[in-house]
Amino acid sequence: MVDHLFRSRAGQMVSYLTRLLGPDQLDLAEEVVQEALLKALQKWPYSGIPENPAGWLFHVARNAALDAIRHRTLAGEKSVDVTADRIRSAAIDREIDPALEDQLRDDELCMVLMCCHPALPRDARVALSLKTVGGFSTREIARAFLSDEATIAQRIVRAKRQIRDDGIRFELPAGKDLAVRLDSALEVIYLMFNEGYAAQSGEDLVRRDLCQEALRLARLLASSSVNNPQVHALVALIALQTARLPARVDSAGELVLLEDQDRSLWDRRLVGLGFHHFAQSAEGPLLSAYHIQAAIAAIHAGAGKTEDTDWKAILELYDQLMDLSPSPVVVLNRAVAISKIRGPEAALAALRPLAEDRSLRNYYLLPAVQGHLHFDLGDKETAAQYFQQALDLPCSEPEKRFLRRKLGECS
Amino acid sequence: MPQYMLLLYDDPSHWMTISPEEMQKAIEKFVGWREKLVNQKILVGSHKLMDEPGKVMRGKGQVRVTDGPYSETKEVLGGYFLIEAADYREAVDRTRDCPGLEYGGTIEVRQVDPMVPRD
Repeated sequence: MVDHLFRSRAGQMVSYLTRLLGPDQLDLAEEVVQEALLKALQKWPYSGIPENPAGWLFHVARNAALDAIRHRTLAGEKSVDVTADRIRSAAIDREIDPALEDQLRDDELCMVLMCCHPALPRDARVALSLKTVGGFSTREIARAFLSDEATIAQRIVRAKRQIRDDGIRFELPAGKDLAVRLDSALEVIYLMFNEGYAAQSGEDLVRRDLCQEALRLARLLASSSVNNPQVHALVALIALQTARLPARVDSAGELVLLEDQDRSLWDRRLVGLGFHHFAQSAEGPLLSAYHIQAAIAAIHAGAGKTEDTDWKAILELYDQLMDLSPSPVVVLNRAVAISKIRGPEAALAALRPLAEDRSLRNYYLLPAVQGHLHFDLGDKETAAQYFQQALDLPCSEPEKRFLRRKLGECS
Repeated sequence: MPQYMLLLYDDPSHWMTISPEEMQKAIEKFVGWREKLVNQKILVGSHKLMDEPGKVMRGKGQVRVTDGPYSETKEVLGGYFLIEAADYREAVDRTRDCPGLEYGGTIEVRQVDPMVPRD
């Protein structure tokens, strides 16, 4: 079976059925899809995998939807009756032909844009997209976001209720509405990606799956009618960064910094994909924050050796990013670029304004970077204090081991 | 070669909260295990049974037919594999790595009584 077939087809089937049943029946769509997958789980161990697994799943999900509607109609619910015909006549056979594949992509797109409606709270948009389009379970979403299952489940239930109450429609928005929704979708995908990428753990595969799902959704937008240079920039950014994942942890499970990575381990296919979309992002006058971040990732990806990295160009890009969308994290990353050109002291000076910033209070990377800079200055005592401070903040196991190693080098 | 029936029981409610990704993983494990039996040329057949209830028939003359059986435990008979093995020890050994066990199910192993008694 194709990797992640169930996960990705689950998203497509839910989207497809939601179009037929209406957004207020999103729960029903999810239920029947789960039922179809469950049937496969019960049957395929004995029968083997059918010739066309996706077609099999679609067929069973469709029948389950018809059954559910029949039950509800018998129970006196009028609202779902009209949809039965629509499902009965839906072109679902055991084969999924190219026309249906196109339809499925459109449906997924509509679903992403529905889940990313700006009326929904941002957290809910991310969780709902992962659940409905991504085919993630609430437990998996909770694990990926280091949250608990009940919180995520509640977030999703509320979002669905709001979709019903606000009458948010399952359709491709037009004009200004489309631009707003697309921005929101890009933000959701970016958050998804960051969450997966920031994990750095490699120990929990679900988080790596977040990067893959973000890439899949970004590519879905890029290959659709709603694509624009910003979408391509986001695909480029995600692809170029995801390409580095295999090199971030060595065979012993230890964290490897970008400058020490074995660049031959970078995923060439993803690097190629990233540059392809980066080129397409250059069309038009718009320069978004995604463009700048993609450009930074492209410089790293283009450097065959660490020493070849064009830090001057990177610093210029961070300067632009500071103008366009300043944030404490940008200040931090920019300081790293400064250290490569003007040395650790200049970098520490650039970090000084962050001392007052409360949003980075629990962000271990700030003291970790400060530790590095003091270490480079030869002040091992101060460096040790910062590494210790970083260790006291939440971070993954490989990160902890890395910081402990650094701390050891200080004494 | 003697034949053994492997009857797989499991608790369907166990699967209710499992994610699509986890389902696919479980299926792949099962398919891999089944494939191994095929490659060893010891798989005679395997079928999933339709979900309960089936029919239970009793009595002579006036046969009573009822729905059932309803399991008294949460575990239900899901399906069977029919394999060949030299003896119970070998049949059990070949079943040891069946994914059904990993996922909390129970397997009943029963030798098929041959039509013609062996010497």
